Amino acid sequence: MKKYEILEHTADIRARIFAKNQEDLFVNSAICLFELLTDKKAKAKDTKHIELSASRLEDLLVIWLNELISIFYSYKFLPVDYAVSISELSGVKKISADVRGIEFNPYGNKDVKSEIKAATYHNLKIDKDSKGFAAEVIFDV
Amino acid sequence: MPEIAFEKIDDYKFRIPKSYKQGMRVDGIIYATEKLLSGAKNDNAFEQVANVAFLPGIVKYSLAMPDIHWGYGFPIGGVAATDPEEGGVVSPGGVGYDINCGVRMLKTNLTLDDVRDKIPAIVNRLYQDVPSGVGSTGDVSVTVKEERKILVEGAKWAVSRGFGVADDLESCEEQGAIEGADPDSVSKRAYLRGREQSGTLGSGNHFLEVQVIDEIFDAKVAEKFGLSVGQIAVMIHSGSRGLGYQVCDDYVKEMLSCLDKYSINIPDRQLACAPVKSVEAQKYIGAMRAAANYAWANRQVLMHLTRAAFGKVFSKSWQSLGMDLIYDVAHNIAKFEKRVVDGKEKYLCVHRKGATRAFGPGNPELAQKYQETGQPVIIPGDMGRASYLLVGTRKSEEETFASTCHGAGRVSSRHEALRKIDVNVLLKELKAKGIEVRATGKKTIVEEAPSVYKNIDDVIEVVQKSGISRKICRMRPLCVVKG
Repeated sequence: MKKYEILEHTADIRARIFAKNQEDLFVNSAICLFELLTDKKAKAKDTKHIELSASRLEDLLVIWLNELISIFYSYKFLPVDYAVSISELSGVKKISADVRGIEFNPYGNKDVKSEIKAATYHNLKIDKDSKGFAAEVIFDV
Repeated sequence: MPEIAFEKIDDYKFRIPKSYKQGMRVDGIIYATEKLLSGAKNDNAFEQVANVAFLPGIVKYSLAMPDIHWGYGFPIGGVAATDPEEGGVVSPGGVGYDINCGVRMLKTNLTLDDVRDKIPAIVNRLYQDVPSGVGSTGDVSVTVKEERKILVEGAKWAVSRGFGVADDLESCEEQGAIEGADPDSVSKRAYLRGREQSGTLGSGNHFLEVQVIDEIFDAKVAEKFGLSVGQIAVMIHSGSRGLGYQVCDDYVKEMLSCLDKYSINIPDRQLACAPVKSVEAQKYIGAMRAAANYAWANRQVLMHLTRAAFGKVFSKSWQSLGMDLIYDVAHNIAKFEKRVVDGKEKYLCVHRKGATRAFGPGNPELAQKYQETGQPVIIPGDMGRASYLLVGTRKSEEETFASTCHGAGRVSSRHEALRKIDVNVLLKELKAKGIEVRATGKKTIVEEAPSVYKNIDDVIEVVQKSGISRKICRMRPLCVVKG
């Protein structure tokens, strides 16, 4: 199963992400994001623990992606792999993740191939069928 | 979704009636010709005009300028004003991630003959001396204390550090620093992102372009601005970089929770908003203004580097090259402006998302030197065709909350451009037209190819004929530095 594909959008980048389950959907979305940003391959050295919550799964996906964008640019950390668990308590969706990666300076770095400002909530959707999950996210570039 | 039945108001205005979608509080009005309208029908932009009409407290109509294209939340080219006294909201998505993305234009006393043989030298020098490109980092390194000053003082901070002169400030919207910025409402992450990027152009559609004036439409105003045919000008397009993106993201997230809290019904969560008078909105407004000031400081530094680069090429000071600032405009911002609505004076929150303020002659907020002419409005086109200088009009104050277009507007995607356009063929075509391009990546050049944009002449025709701004002169590009 392919992890994601890029769709048409007049000004920004629209991605459709596929996965067998919710956890993989979040992991594959992160993979899509960082493959848009850089081709850099590395072995993870450090771990950051992330916990986020939202009232909707769709919102949680965008909050997750923006958290990763923010860590990339603010703390110069490039995620490489992810251990994700998603839970729900009293209607609140929660992600708990160990993000493993490397120190990486995104500024003035030739390995960075595009700039992504943020993941957006516009036309955001997550569909579920017998094959699994598919999400659509628009990144502002 | 149903197809939108546009009602033609006149040759340059079309209406989306509020009956189109339940929940629209006002009509949508699009400034366009039939040609431009049909060219943009395949994307979601018009649906977005209808979505903006849901915003609580929206006044008169949800507007779109002729460069309209698909954005997120608001369309690019979208304008909406809300009335804080009637529960009006502010929406971070109505300003966008690149807060105070904008353009400035400076003139020179050089002519085409002076620069013709020096174009490669100029573009190479600019490319070398002005940091650009994906994740570019600047030479201007600042401490957190200094960064807080930038957020309050904007372009004034840059001038106080020797990047330009006091006269530059008079030629900026808000004199290069909007009041009411609150550096405490800006997150640590935004500071971290901002610190790396002071004095950088950025990537995507940001650019630095050397142009020649090739046509004058209003000789009197052009003369007043010191502009004539054959003269060289420079345009700089950049914004608040990572600092602004982080501010927007922080507050869109915060305002999602305001939707339930204030019982706000909107069809797109990217339009998340809060009543202007709420604590959440006030914090956002303080942070947004801080980011706007960062952008003004940034463009001031970029202009300083540009002047210095020209100085090196021509072995002269920038003053003796006559490199004075014509004006600097913000095209992603929310501002509080006085407007008369149905005979009553109101203090409205005007969102401009890919739209330019266009104050007419006599507007008390303009500096003395623009009182007679109206505010200069700078509209960049694509890198292969042309850009325009216009002025604002009284009609724009009456009709469009003093707003006009901001550029050509995209018609096709970056993805499609990468699939269809060969960068070497494109560069050859541009060179044949006498246009030199430098960029860190070939990808950006392709993504920003002239063919992905509407023809700027068509866009300008609409704002001119509808009377919401007035053409002064047109410039064609000679060399371009892209991110």
